[in-house]
Amino acid sequence: MIHIQDVTHTFSIGKKGKEKRVPVLKNVSIDINKGEIVSIVGKSGSGKSTLLHVLAGFMKPESGSIKVLNQETAKLSESEHAEFRLNNFGFIFQNFQLMPGLTAFENIELPLKLKGVPKSERRVNVEALIQKVGLSAVADHYPNELSGGQQQRVSIARALVSNPPIILADEPTGSLDSETENEILILIQSLNKSLGITFVIITHDDEVANIAHRKYRLHDGALVNGGALHVV
Amino acid sequence: MSFKDQLDFIRQHLKKNKLRVFMTVLAATMGCAFLIVLASVGFGLHKTLTDEMLDTQLINEVQIYGKEDQSPVTADDQQKMREMENVNAVVSRSYLEGVTSITMDDRTGYGDVQLTNLEEEEKANLALSEGTMPTKPNEIVIGYHFAQNLLTEAEMNAQSDEEVSTGFTTSMIGKEISIELTPLNEENNEPKTWDFVVTGVAKAPSKDWMTDQRVLIDESYRTEFQLFTQPDVPVEESYISVYVYADGLQSVKGITESLKAEGYHVYSVTEEMETMDLFFTVLKAGLLFVGTIAVLISSIGIFNTMTMAVTERTREIGVMKAIGANPKLIQRLFLMESIWIGVIGTAIAVALSYAISYLANWLIPLIVMNIMEEDGMEDMGITISSIPWQLVVIASVISIGVAMVSGWRPARKATKIDVIQALRQEL
Ligand SMILES: Nc1ncnc2c1ncn2[C@@H]1O[C@H](COP(=O)(O)OP(=O)(O)OP(=O)(O)O)[C@@H](O)[C@H]1O
Ligand SMILES: [Mg+2]
Repeated sequence: MIHIQDVTHTFSIGKKGKEKRVPVLKNVSIDINKGEIVSIVGKSGSGKSTLLHVLAGFMKPESGSIKVLNQETAKLSESEHAEFRLNNFGFIFQNFQLMPGLTAFENIELPLKLKGVPKSERRVNVEALIQKVGLSAVADHYPNELSGGQQQRVSIARALVSNPPIILADEPTGSLDSETENEILILIQSLNKSLGITFVIITHDDEVANIAHRKYRLHDGALVNGGALHVV
Repeated sequence: MSFKDQLDFIRQHLKKNKLRVFMTVLAATMGCAFLIVLASVGFGLHKTLTDEMLDTQLINEVQIYGKEDQSPVTADDQQKMREMENVNAVVSRSYLEGVTSITMDDRTGYGDVQLTNLEEEEKANLALSEGTMPTKPNEIVIGYHFAQNLLTEAEMNAQSDEEVSTGFTTSMIGKEISIELTPLNEENNEPKTWDFVVTGVAKAPSKDWMTDQRVLIDESYRTEFQLFTQPDVPVEESYISVYVYADGLQSVKGITESLKAEGYHVYSVTEEMETMDLFFTVLKAGLLFVGTIAVLISSIGIFNTMTMAVTERTREIGVMKAIGANPKLIQRLFLMESIWIGVIGTAIAVALSYAISYLANWLIPLIVMNIMEEDGMEDMGITISSIPWQLVVIASVISIGVAMVSGWRPARKATKIDVIQALRQEL
């Protein structure tokens, strides 16, 4: 479902004229199958987030190929990529990234609005999802009136609402205490089981990584053991 | 994203910063209202002068005051003019010279005695307030004010004591008027009198301050009078003015042009109006230009507001882009926001301008009147400021267009926001 092939990326940092070139991803190749939970672990600065950004299309890699659902995404234009994300990816971020001016309900509804789904249909979908993630009591709360765990549930619901086949999560539990972390991990596992959604989870936390079916480890931008699978 | 959802989105953003949006709309309103009110003075004065011109002049009249080759305008020429398209009537008038007195019973007066073709006068819209048009040569039509200066000797004496007499006040219809002519040459100045019967009185002139003292006699007398007063001058050389009457203002220009082409010296109201229109077009353009500067200044406010809005919402824009919002949509949302400010500002400005214009038209004549301590300004009907729909359209296009242009860069900036940088921003 996802083919990452020989992706290499180098950042240039510093002032113009005396830039330093920092290699961040070095020939990374990963294959992810449908319905899998795959985790990518590594120390801080190892290039995990950069890999996810390249996969999501937030930036273009220097070289290498990325195929998602048989689509060579690195070739898409900015607009096409946005459209592709809207249809195929859900996102969960470490600091939730909710819209402060929208209620929990409206935040979850946003991707459907972007897709142009009619209001009545949106209502039904969002309400069902709110129940599933256990937010019925706080649906009309604004993000600053929600706990961290509740906010992450909202963001998971937002990622799910348009039924994407793939959800990309960057440190999904990084801002949560361990009890809440467990709740979220259980939720992710159950969604994976019941809906068959593919999860790519980036984390530096082995406990989180352990819910994955397979685990990759990045070190200084390269896969440890050449990407040999760590089956959990 | 459906249009309605886009509007909701904008509304929600605008609500978040009410005061800032209010101030920006206020600036846009002031700029646009300034533009409209300023230009409305040009439109108002133009309207006043045009109305004045159309009111006091016979708008469908084309005066012919000769030919380029100096030859007189003959009866044949006039007949040709009558056959032109859109010509209602052609009248040749001459002032009767040598009138020494006009009397009716024991009253004497004065008047503009003119020889004319009464049939054509009627076609040229000579309207009567009473009586009928003459049917016989010795029947005449008199001006509305003519009877006022037919005075008896007693009245005339009284008038010198500064008591204005109202003259003859009962109906003139059927009255006999005697006109005494004296030859213009020195040797023979034995006067002679002709009698006429009044059958019609012309309508009052359109303006209070105009007086109509005409005495209109059929032109068949022209030769007879000429032979009596100036026997040595041939009739053809007596001074006759020819007037062509169009069927409406819209045909005056065409008639004027074709008469000019045929070598006549002509004058019509369109000539004067063209000069005036040109002047006012330049004036209005100048006022619109100055007003546009005010709109441009107010647009700086829109630019600032939108730039701030984009900067403030960098993270939100990043999230939107991350979850799949098209950059074009984001650009459109921000552009719509600045257009909204422009539209609301313009709408308020239009309403406000009408109010200011109304107030100015009422108040300024009042103030001027007080300063000059004179009455009568109000019935001169001066329009100082007028806002025709065209001005509203022009001003709306300018100020909404300027709002769009000033929102363009911030909206572009929003689409250029880097998702990764935006997501990295702290909450
Ligand atoms: N825009 C950038 N310009 C230059 N260097 C960058 C940029 N973004 C990231 N880097 C560098 O790339 C390397 C990898 O960063 P990345 O964010 O992918 O690490 P990470 O594995 O996600 O770390 P963490 O666990 O702390 O989130 C780091 O050394 C970082 O300094
Ligand atoms: Mg990271």
